Amino acid sequence: MRASYKWLAEYLDLAGLSPAELADRLTSAGLAVDAVDPLNRGVKGVVIGKILEVHPHPHADRLKVCRVDVGDRELQIVCGAPNAAPQQLVPVALPGAKLPGGVEIGVAEFRGILSHGMLCSAEELGLEPRYLPKRDAEGLFVLPADLPLGADIVPHLHLDDVVLDLDLTPNRSDCLSIRGLVHELSAILRRPHRFPHSVPAPAVEGESPLRVRLETPRCPRYEAQLLEGAEVRETPLWMKMRLLAMGIRSIDLVVDVTNYVMLEWGQPLHAFDADAIAERTIVVRQAREGERLVTLDGQERALTPEMIVIADPEKAIGLAGVMGGENSEIGPSTRRIALESACFDGRSVRRTGQALSLRSEAQQRFEKGVDPAAVSSALHRATELLVQLAGSRPVGAPRRVPAQEEAPKPTIISFSPRECSRFLGVDVPEDEMRTCFESLGFTVVQGEREWRVEVPTRRPDVALPADLYEEVARLYGYDHIPSTSMRLPVEAPESSAHLPLLRRVRRALVDWGLYEVRTYALTSPEAEAPVSPSGVPVPLLRPMSDDRRSLRRHLLPSLAEVARHNLAHQVPGGAIFEAGKVFLAASWPQAALPEERSVLGMLWFGETEGDPFERPRRYDFYDAKGVCDALLARLGVQPTYRASECAFLHPGRQASIQANGQSIGLIGELHPDVAEAYEVERAVYAEIDLALLASVASADVRVAPLPRHPASRRDLAVLVPQAVEAQALVDAAWDALSDRDILRLVRVFDVYTGTGVPEGYKSLALALGFQQEERTLTDAEIDEAVNTVLRAWEAAFGAKLRA
Amino acid sequence: MSDSWNHELEEIRARALASLAGASDSKGLNEWRVEVLGKKSALNQISKAMGGLAPEERRMLGEALNRVRQELEHAWRTRQAEIEAKEKALRLERERIDVTLPGRHVPVGAAHPISRVIEEIEDIFLSLGFSVVDGPEVETDHYNFELLNIPKDHPARDMQDTFYLTEEWLLRTHTSPMQVRTMERMRGRTPIRVIVPGRVYRRDEDDATHSHQFTQIEGLVVDEGIRMSDLKGTLEAFAKALFGPSQRVRLRPSYFPFTEPSCEVDLVCVSCGGGGCRMCKGTGWIEILGAGMVHPRVLDMSGYDSARYSGFAFGLGAERIAMLRYGISDIRMLYQNDLRFLRQFSHA
Ligand SMILES: [Zn+2]
Repeated sequence: MRASYKWLAEYLDLAGLSPAELADRLTSAGLAVDAVDPLNRGVKGVVIGKILEVHPHPHADRLKVCRVDVGDRELQIVCGAPNAAPQQLVPVALPGAKLPGGVEIGVAEFRGILSHGMLCSAEELGLEPRYLPKRDAEGLFVLPADLPLGADIVPHLHLDDVVLDLDLTPNRSDCLSIRGLVHELSAILRRPHRFPHSVPAPAVEGESPLRVRLETPRCPRYEAQLLEGAEVRETPLWMKMRLLAMGIRSIDLVVDVTNYVMLEWGQPLHAFDADAIAERTIVVRQAREGERLVTLDGQERALTPEMIVIADPEKAIGLAGVMGGENSEIGPSTRRIALESACFDGRSVRRTGQALSLRSEAQQRFEKGVDPAAVSSALHRATELLVQLAGSRPVGAPRRVPAQEEAPKPTIISFSPRECSRFLGVDVPEDEMRTCFESLGFTVVQGEREWRVEVPTRRPDVALPADLYEEVARLYGYDHIPSTSMRLPVEAPESSAHLPLLRRVRRALVDWGLYEVRTYALTSPEAEAPVSPSGVPVPLLRPMSDDRRSLRRHLLPSLAEVARHNLAHQVPGGAIFEAGKVFLAASWPQAALPEERSVLGMLWFGETEGDPFERPRRYDFYDAKGVCDALLARLGVQPTYRASECAFLHPGRQASIQANGQSIGLIGELHPDVAEAYEVERAVYAEIDLALLASVASADVRVAPLPRHPASRRDLAVLVPQAVEAQALVDAAWDALSDRDILRLVRVFDVYTGTGVPEGYKSLALALGFQQEERTLTDAEIDEAVNTVLRAWEAAFGAKLRA
Repeated sequence: MSDSWNHELEEIRARALASLAGASDSKGLNEWRVEVLGKKSALNQISKAMGGLAPEERRMLGEALNRVRQELEHAWRTRQAEIEAKEKALRLERERIDVTLPGRHVPVGAAHPISRVIEEIEDIFLSLGFSVVDGPEVETDHYNFELLNIPKDHPARDMQDTFYLTEEWLLRTHTSPMQVRTMERMRGRTPIRVIVPGRVYRRDEDDATHSHQFTQIEGLVVDEGIRMSDLKGTLEAFAKALFGPSQRVRLRPSYFPFTEPSCEVDLVCVSCGGGGCRMCKGTGWIEILGAGMVHPRVLDMSGYDSARYSGFAFGLGAERIAMLRYGISDIRMLYQNDLRFLRQFSHA
């Protein structure tokens, strides 16, 4: 909403308050002013002149040489505008004048003819052509004939005004009008205002020739006035300029009056060509299935029964609150006008506007709610202006449906000043509260402990005591509210379980050199295709782009995208992780919300950093596994790894991570095809389900006593076929000695193929650790145990002890 | 007779001492020892030959022999110590390394700046007696809007453009649905004092200051007797903890459908300290969050009688805080995850 400072000042004493100060006061009361723009963008030294003569330029076809009277002298000025004609009053920039954009006017020569200044167009004076009627926007800006010759143009063009650009919150629909802003300012500044409470009906006898039938409950009130004749069609300059200041395009006097009154009173109006209304009967009803209407913008609109139309008994003539119909448009030949002032249901108007992608000023006001108490006054005011300016004559009294005369009921709220002070945490004097309400135009009936506060229909946002607390707080000043502290609760509610776990995970991974990333949850099925996640993608109804049109089902595509970006930006490699959600659905649409699963995803891509002692090398499976091992160890989880079969991972380099007998994640090198699809060459991925991890992780430490008897370690190197997994030997060792409580450790510490190892075999070196808490083990006992393990390995895998 | 022995002893001594001076390493020293003090040494020959001497002579010669032997042994030990010291010095010198070479690489990772901000803010509120909870990112229209006093077709819905999955399901546009979910979970018990960090989504075109996905931290307090001044006090304590003890907050009236009264909360500009600069557009203040007293209708809809209970809620953007704290000018940096950017957050 834009607001003209001068317009506000007509109703309120703004003495001593600059527009900038006014903006500050409004902002601190909750009506944020985004910008304060002077209408004059740098016009200086431009006067009103009269063209006396126009001659063609002897050496230039498109230029004219004018003699111009500027009051105290006559000047010769060269001009290129095709509409320049004798007797016109026009803006004249005298030599030395300044125009917007830093232009300075001097005496210039145009093909041998001197020009003592310049005749100006509206645009050259800094006026936006889009807000002016076509004939004012093009060529010289021809001024009304009654302006004083030679006078400075600034006050006469009303350029000495300043526009406040307000960023209103949706609850303050009342401030979408000068009326509302005046009331608000009156309360903020504690200065009385002169805005009329109401405008009386025109003094016309007789019943209205218009008939109105309301056939929908979504129009609680409809008033109309018939006017005859509109001799003058030119909008006066002051109104044009005021509309321009408010950001509304001037079109034609009748339309301009409806817009002007809307800005003044907040009540949207519409003017129909009354002769286009069959039987002089206006019907407000829901649109019919399949009904069509060509709106004022020339577009044919398909209507739905959701929409409210204004119609006559034969046809629709307008979309209520949204846009009029072309068939009843006011034109140069219009002789009778039907003015409409009504209340339409905000939701219907909003839906209609959304369905047709229309967003008019009227629509915005209806959506947020108009004041039923202003319907009549706005109609009377527009009638009054058309009588004054256009020479129209009202025919009959206004038609009102329903016919009731009584004013709409105010909202009554019981208000406790004590509770208000308690709620805000500051003692606001009762006088202060009372003044605050009264300055807002609320009526206060003071009771013993409770007050009765009557809120006019102008302020539909104030309905509850809390709303009154807010009015008190913002007008008294939020700065008066002190900072207090609450007492600490004895017992704090529990935090979500996995959040502390997430912190432990993050800390550990960061300490081991991984970088945390945060990526978008929106992706596309194509981006996920290489992973071919289970279930179906959950799509957005209205995505903003094709590559962000569904919820992700997997973290790898996001992480791979990060890797690709970094590899493409001279980062040779790295290890990254994200703890994020994936969204799973078996089918879509489905009866249940998609399942949200919190997953830890990790990716190692490119090369290690390297140092003088170890050359950079590609990250491999065991880098990832080492981190998983360490992470799980830190969380008190003992994982086992089982070869797995995930299609997006290398078939021979992947495993599922298991803990407490269930799979909690997976790890593996990307399948070469997948790596290629994501442009990462080779990378290792690991993921752990955070909910499952939380279920197996432990936070508590239980200390075991230190052993009192020495431990013995035996290192064994055995030859086994290539295909035998190290874990199998480890498991077999534990199994073989499960009958005696002496084995404490089985660890693989070397794997070797090459010289001395037959083709198809590998040498695995394992350490076995023996210990007994009660006694020292004998060599014989340990030898026997080792032999038992070796026999088991031989039996199961054909393992042979290497010499 | 004894003179000739003495003479010979003297000669052996002199010769041995001279050759000892020539021994320059452990090997030479060992050879000298074998030659001079070993079984086949001249001294030993003399010792063996002593058997044929008269007792008196033998005693005197024995004493002389011992003196020489001791002297030579002492000389040897001294020399050995010298040589060992020299050799050790040489070895140490050989072992000299280039201490300016870089150490073995230990990778240093980093938490994402948004996580860093979230953890820091969580810690502040944990110390103020709040707990931390999280909630679903796919929400229903009911929780995201209606229970927050934003009915269908309410103009306030224009404030947040929404990604819908179906007519009723959507990606949450704010963490505020967790206000309602928390109150429902608490079933009328008090006090409620939670913060909720989480990802939220809006249909915004990504640019330097907008992101279709961002991170909010919601706060909610409900109890008997909660005042608007408690909101201010809590946020002021938070601002001081996060940005330093000289921080102050300013409340400006605003509007959110689910709070009444509502406010925008400003901090003293972290760039200029309040004097006015480009970042704060000359005002000396920067907006960091929206807040307000929980709307009575929201309390009532969530099972807390608004006549008895009151509360406040606030919501702040983790990205905005991160950008202010770390001097990040483009929000997209936070989602690009360029390691050259993330590496700058390595120091914990
Ligand atoms: Zn600043």
